[in-house]
Amino acid sequence: MSVRELSSVPSFPAIWAAALGRPPLVPRATSLPKRRYRVRGVKVGAEQSARFDHLVGAAASDYVHPGLLHVLAFPVSLSLMAHPRFPFPLLGLVHVKNSILQHRPVRVGETVDVECSVRNIQPHRRGATFEAVSTLSADGQIVATDVSTYLARGETARKIAALQEEEGASADGSRSEDRAAKREEFQPPKPSARWKLNGDTGRRYAAVAGDANPIHMSALSAKAFGFPKAIAHGMYTASRAFAEARPDLSVPLKWDVEFAAPVLIPGTVWLSFENDDSSRVYGARGHAGGAESGSAAGAGSASGGGRRVTRFTGFSAPKPDRPSKLHFTGTVELFG
Amino acid sequence: MTAPQNAPRRVHVLGGNRIPFGKIGGAYRGVSNRDMMTAALDGLIARYSLQNERIGEVAGGAVLKRAADFNLTRESVLGTALDPHTPAIDMQKACATGLETLNFVTAKIRLGQIDSGIAGGVDSASDAPIEVSDSLRRKLHTLSRAKTAGQRLSLVGSLRPSDFAPLAPRNSEPRTGLSMGEHQAITTREWGITREEQDELAAASHRNLAAAYEEGFFDTLMTGYRGCGRDEFLRPDTTVEKLAGLKTVFGKEQATMTAGNSTGLSDGASAVLVGTEEWAAARGLTPLAEVVDFRAAATDYVHGDEGLLMAPVEAMPRLLADNGLTIDDIDFFEIHEAFAGTVLSTLKAWESREYMVDRLGFDDVLGTVPREKLNVKGSSLAAGHPFAATGGRIVASLATMLRTAADDTGRTQRGVISVCAASGQGVVCLLQAEPVGQEDK
Repeated sequence: MSVRELSSVPSFPAIWAAALGRPPLVPRATSLPKRRYRVRGVKVGAEQSARFDHLVGAAASDYVHPGLLHVLAFPVSLSLMAHPRFPFPLLGLVHVKNSILQHRPVRVGETVDVECSVRNIQPHRRGATFEAVSTLSADGQIVATDVSTYLARGETARKIAALQEEEGASADGSRSEDRAAKREEFQPPKPSARWKLNGDTGRRYAAVAGDANPIHMSALSAKAFGFPKAIAHGMYTASRAFAEARPDLSVPLKWDVEFAAPVLIPGTVWLSFENDDSSRVYGARGHAGGAESGSAAGAGSASGGGRRVTRFTGFSAPKPDRPSKLHFTGTVELFG
Repeated sequence: MTAPQNAPRRVHVLGGNRIPFGKIGGAYRGVSNRDMMTAALDGLIARYSLQNERIGEVAGGAVLKRAADFNLTRESVLGTALDPHTPAIDMQKACATGLETLNFVTAKIRLGQIDSGIAGGVDSASDAPIEVSDSLRRKLHTLSRAKTAGQRLSLVGSLRPSDFAPLAPRNSEPRTGLSMGEHQAITTREWGITREEQDELAAASHRNLAAAYEEGFFDTLMTGYRGCGRDEFLRPDTTVEKLAGLKTVFGKEQATMTAGNSTGLSDGASAVLVGTEEWAAARGLTPLAEVVDFRAAATDYVHGDEGLLMAPVEAMPRLLADNGLTIDDIDFFEIHEAFAGTVLSTLKAWESREYMVDRLGFDDVLGTVPREKLNVKGSSLAAGHPFAATGGRIVASLATMLRTAADDTGRTQRGVISVCAASGQGVVCLLQAEPVGQEDK
């Protein structure tokens, strides 16, 4: 498997220019490239880290929000997908799922190597999905793995997926779930928070993360790509939900999110957060008084160690003429 | 200091003073937090002859405070007749600020660090601070550090009209984006609190506060300010029927909360004088009630399963149990009326086995609060609620009620205060009065 070394993280304008200026006569491949793209020595800057934290409602800490790791790797995987022979057109890909496994905390100011590849084509009701895998490592040790699942819509994509299936290339992968069925039976949970997203939400994320995809920037530019309004970056909503899950960034963690319906901006998203109670002791919580707590039963607190899970769901409020719609759902799991 | 270092001393409420609470844009428009805090202190000083007195510590604060008011309480003290050597501190715990300032000075006295203290708070909705945007602030800071004309020019060139949009304090919880009313609407619905119950509680608050004014209850508790002699929110003639006509403002489905059964944005200030018996006796002051104890609690409202304003539900049984008391030992219940729904949800939760035992892990329910012992001189729905000033209002009123009741009945009287606060917090407090002559029993 070959590796293409890039001297630095590619710039977004260059990627979009490559995607838009693709020579029309170059045939697209019918399978995913085996080649990996790598950039060595990418620094997680203190200033960008603080800006990212503030953007998503987190306190700027010495640990890096895993959403920023995705941001760092994203242009590398994009440039791989912008290759003229890549089986699916870059413009029009839909981010349907993201999973980050962080093996150890990453500190602001660290330097990481980023390596990106693509894998696992799967047939989907609306085309085909594949995974872009970014590995971030330091001193030869993997610190985080970021797996982004994209949907390529259309008949061509579906045919490519079917072809792969015949060749048995996807024996290990599980079939993409039928999201439509899921959406119909969506029952909104009890809301605990509400985000009012202004029209500049996409522009503000782009200013920090760099991803100035026109579908996020303005209603006008989004319309050119078939959206009624601009849509919020999925990773913005996911990163904000991650911050609000109040994770402990000093331990290994796993952060999964699935995107259902896009969030149109300006707009409102309702949120629900649910802690896994298995590791949490309710009630008669310990207090400083110590000694006798009268009628209170044994003091308990969130137990240290083990696995802690917070589930989050983003959805629209039900309206008289239209049921509540699922925007995204995910989990933050902390280990240790 | 006469007491040994390690013997906690008893601390008493000796008096209190507040200015009438105003409506946003009402009598106190155009005056600042410092103006109102100074006025409340001036009234206290005049009533208890504290001119040139060196108080151990004055603790105050405001929830909505301008950056320029960083030493608001000390600056207010310097504008009064108190000895200018009186130290002061600013504290803030949202609506529980007033109770926590009392907790703070009480603890200092108890430990023998000081013999007297003043606890209070102030807030102005009419003069709430307005800030510049994050982006403008950062650009201005960068500009002040710029070294070259080119750097300055490029920063000035980066300014956008949107940078200049002013920011008023937000009326929502930073982590949830929901206003306090919207949070309470969720809790109100969960506890099945009806519109009628809420309106009845609101009407009772107005009725009780109006009666308290009638009987002269506030004559020793209040000094007029800027032509205002009575709380501006008070409507002595309001009725359940009138309240029933108001439109709902919080919650969507099955909405029950209105401007009538929710507190309005207010202006005002309050101050409470506390000290040891010896300190009081040396100045000819009679203790109103002893400050016995406090407890604080907080809920996890961020992840959904607990009410934003339900923290006192857990704090109160702890306070009583730790002091060897039950609900039957309490003669007066002061439950801050952030919303009528808050009070009613709290009362229901204390009666709920599922909530108290299964969820909070207590051995038993707290029990039923007799309505005739609840907010008997009115509360925030009628008086208004200038956030940090509410604790001092309640403490001074309750101490006065306890003194009167103890002297009338010849028996010990106990009262509790419950105050909920933003970000899921709550503080409760226990006061107690012995009939005069039995203080040292």
